[in-house]
Amino acid sequence: MDEPDRFNHLGPRLKHVSKITVKSIKQRSYQICSNCVMDTSDSAITFDDRGWCDYCCNFYENILPNWHPDEQTWKVLSKIVDKIKKVGKGRDHDCLIGMSGGVDSSYVTYLAKEKLGLRPLIFHVDAGWNSQEAVNNIERLVDGLGLDLHTEVIDWSEMKDLQLAFFKAQVPHLDTPQDHAIFASLYNFAAKQGFKYILTGANYSTECVREPIEWHYHASDLRQLQDIHHRFGKVPLKTFPLADIFKYKLYYRYVKGVRVVKPLNFVSYIKANAMQELTDRFGWQKYAHKHYESRFTRFYEGYWLPEKFGYDKRRAHFSSLILTNQKTREEALVEISKSPYDEQTKLKDFEYVAKKLDLTVGELHKIMDGENKTYRDYKSRMPLINMATKVLRIFGKQQAIIR
Amino acid sequence: MIGIIDYGLGNVKAFANVYKMLDIPAIIVTKPHELINVSRVIMPGVGAFDHAMKCLQDSGMREMLDEIVLRKQVPVLGICVGMQMLTNSSEEGVSPGLKWINGDVKKIDSSFNKSIYVPHMGWNDVKPLNNNDLFRGLSDDARFYFLHSYYVHCQRNEDVIAVTNYGVEFACAVNHENVFGVQFHPEKSHQYGIKLLKNFSEL
Amino acid sequence: MLRPRIIPCLLIKNNGLVKTTNFKNPKYVGDPINTVRIFNEKEVDELIILDIDATIKGREPDYNLIEQLASECQMPFCYGGGIKNSSQIKTIIGLGVEKVALSSCAIETPEILTEAAACVGNQSIVVVLDVKKRVRDNNYEVYTHNGQMATGKCPIELAKEMERLGAGEIVVNSIDNDGLMKGYDLTLVQKIREEINVPLTCLGGAGSLQDIGQLINMFGAIGAAAGSLFIFKGVYRAVLINYPNQVEKDKLIRKSHH
Repeated sequence: MDEPDRFNHLGPRLKHVSKITVKSIKQRSYQICSNCVMDTSDSAITFDDRGWCDYCCNFYENILPNWHPDEQTWKVLSKIVDKIKKVGKGRDHDCLIGMSGGVDSSYVTYLAKEKLGLRPLIFHVDAGWNSQEAVNNIERLVDGLGLDLHTEVIDWSEMKDLQLAFFKAQVPHLDTPQDHAIFASLYNFAAKQGFKYILTGANYSTECVREPIEWHYHASDLRQLQDIHHRFGKVPLKTFPLADIFKYKLYYRYVKGVRVVKPLNFVSYIKANAMQELTDRFGWQKYAHKHYESRFTRFYEGYWLPEKFGYDKRRAHFSSLILTNQKTREEALVEISKSPYDEQTKLKDFEYVAKKLDLTVGELHKIMDGENKTYRDYKSRMPLINMATKVLRIFGKQQAIIR
Repeated sequence: MIGIIDYGLGNVKAFANVYKMLDIPAIIVTKPHELINVSRVIMPGVGAFDHAMKCLQDSGMREMLDEIVLRKQVPVLGICVGMQMLTNSSEEGVSPGLKWINGDVKKIDSSFNKSIYVPHMGWNDVKPLNNNDLFRGLSDDARFYFLHSYYVHCQRNEDVIAVTNYGVEFACAVNHENVFGVQFHPEKSHQYGIKLLKNFSEL
Repeated sequence: MLRPRIIPCLLIKNNGLVKTTNFKNPKYVGDPINTVRIFNEKEVDELIILDIDATIKGREPDYNLIEQLASECQMPFCYGGGIKNSSQIKTIIGLGVEKVALSSCAIETPEILTEAAACVGNQSIVVVLDVKKRVRDNNYEVYTHNGQMATGKCPIELAKEMERLGAGEIVVNSIDNDGLMKGYDLTLVQKIREEINVPLTCLGGAGSLQDIGQLINMFGAIGAAAGSLFIFKGVYRAVLINYPNQVEKDKLIRKSHH
């Protein structure tokens, strides 16, 4: 078979992929899982003799046996909720919910207030890229459920500089500045204000297949963020929310006693139904795709990442839906063969991102044409994280594959 | 190809942005020869009548515009003062207009109605008449942004293709053969304006 | 029927959006470009953006930022801040801005109004009057330079004068009510409305859509401008861009016609 054809799915940027990835791709031919749609664009993927990938195997072996939303799990959740209420007595709010305006965080908010009777403070991080749908959806839920809201506004000049630094670093994980700001603000706020419980919209239903580290490196690795900022940034991060992964996983958890609860794993969470329920109840607006509440993320996941690196995050999202019977593999294959959004919006977003970052369209294109790098090209805590993940898995606390 | 006349007045960039968003080819025209291949002309306008006519004259495009509008019958859309310039004359000044439409420009009279403040500023309803294609597909509650102190009075009633009410009812859109004019600002009227500008490109 | 205009008013300081209380204590509210983009998508009636630093610092308006913001607006955009002469006004209008707002320079060098109006038309010339109640005699007084300099002038007289000289719109901004979200100063608006014939816009104090409804009820086709209302949400004043949709707007307007 003609070598170049085999790699067409990776897009026109193959020649710029760093040596490590090229080596592993060249050593293996293209393969797509016969059960979901993850493929060898995750260069570390493995397949069994049925042609099923390790994500699928892990799901059936490790996740599914421990995850079965039913009356029992509802009881377990109720017990947790009782504890939250008890601990939160006398305070204005008993828990904190990080809300982006996306379906997961919106639904967990609805669940928390309406079905679980909690008194959450809604916490939103404005990183400068909110879409109109996102602010509308937050407003609808806050008004519709009578909730209090707190917004952390990230200093745009610092965010802009940090994002630009990540662009210049040529790494795939451009969403780190936003993601880090979001989780750091949330945790820092919780710890500072004495919140013992954070509710998140994280869920197996739509996230059991995680995006590989190659595509989406740990946003919580402060060492990596600081190294990239040090090399390519110009504006000091004076007010930018920062939290080291160990600070928040260990110090906040074990010293400050901040616990994270994922209610959506205790109930039957069908994404399409959840969206409809939110729309009917609150006038919630649908997004074209997961994470598109941020204009930046839409551009990054829908265009930059597939075009420059050949990574299409929809593969992971759709594969999760396939495994949880919310999408058929055929449907996923059809959708993934199409571009996430239309040409015109793509161009508009490209111009908008350039404008926001104070670049010309030409300058942004130039960055796009640069040689691809990975997280390994910069300082990181990966060795430590790998060890920690292994330890957590031994104690059964980490089921999804993170690599 | 839509030609947006830049004679120093009017929000040419806003028109260019709208057509770019609609994926309809448009250029900003500053020299007469650039008009040779355009199939539609947009003539924006802001400010005083005399000043606008002078700027148009000074731009050097007057003759070519007369040629392509009157002889070649290329559709032209005048906006705000651009619409007023299509007529014979204006109470606001002394310059003659382009005389492409038979009418003249009068001042909005607020002397009999205390709550009629001048300039006419804001979103107002527009009532299309005679099923003109310029307003095709626009909803019944279509509204546009107005920002002016003078209005056009047409000699021929048939030339009036939409009216608005501000104290009195007056023409807010006109059309005679290939010459069109709107008193409001379609480039600043959100979806309604975008639709109208799209219609103009398809006439 | 001409509708009342409901207008978000944004303040820029150091290239970022801020919100003040009684013209003091600016709180950072975010990136202007994305905020304007959201307002555009929400199809707001028009937008006012004031650079509150420019005049005090003797700075030129930031033309690059103005152009970037103008290109995000498919509705009229009024810019103010740091304008001193009609050449700047011409430049700014040329960047795609429908109206320019003048404050201190309209009062210090009022001939600029006539000059600029002759060029761009009076419909594009807006005068913003920042007004505070004088403690000693409870009369209104106009201030400039971000509320720092008392002019000793009466807003009603000044409004009439500005109209005479070429202003096509007057914006009356209550320093006393700014950022408090406790309602407009309707008395002040009434006094000015009675004396001028150009469109009037009220700014400062709107805390709810009801406040806007009340203003519209009293004055009909008026401009109802607000900062805090469209930027903050809830008791913690959390930043969340919001604006009434078409249905909510029409309801406000219909109510006022009874």
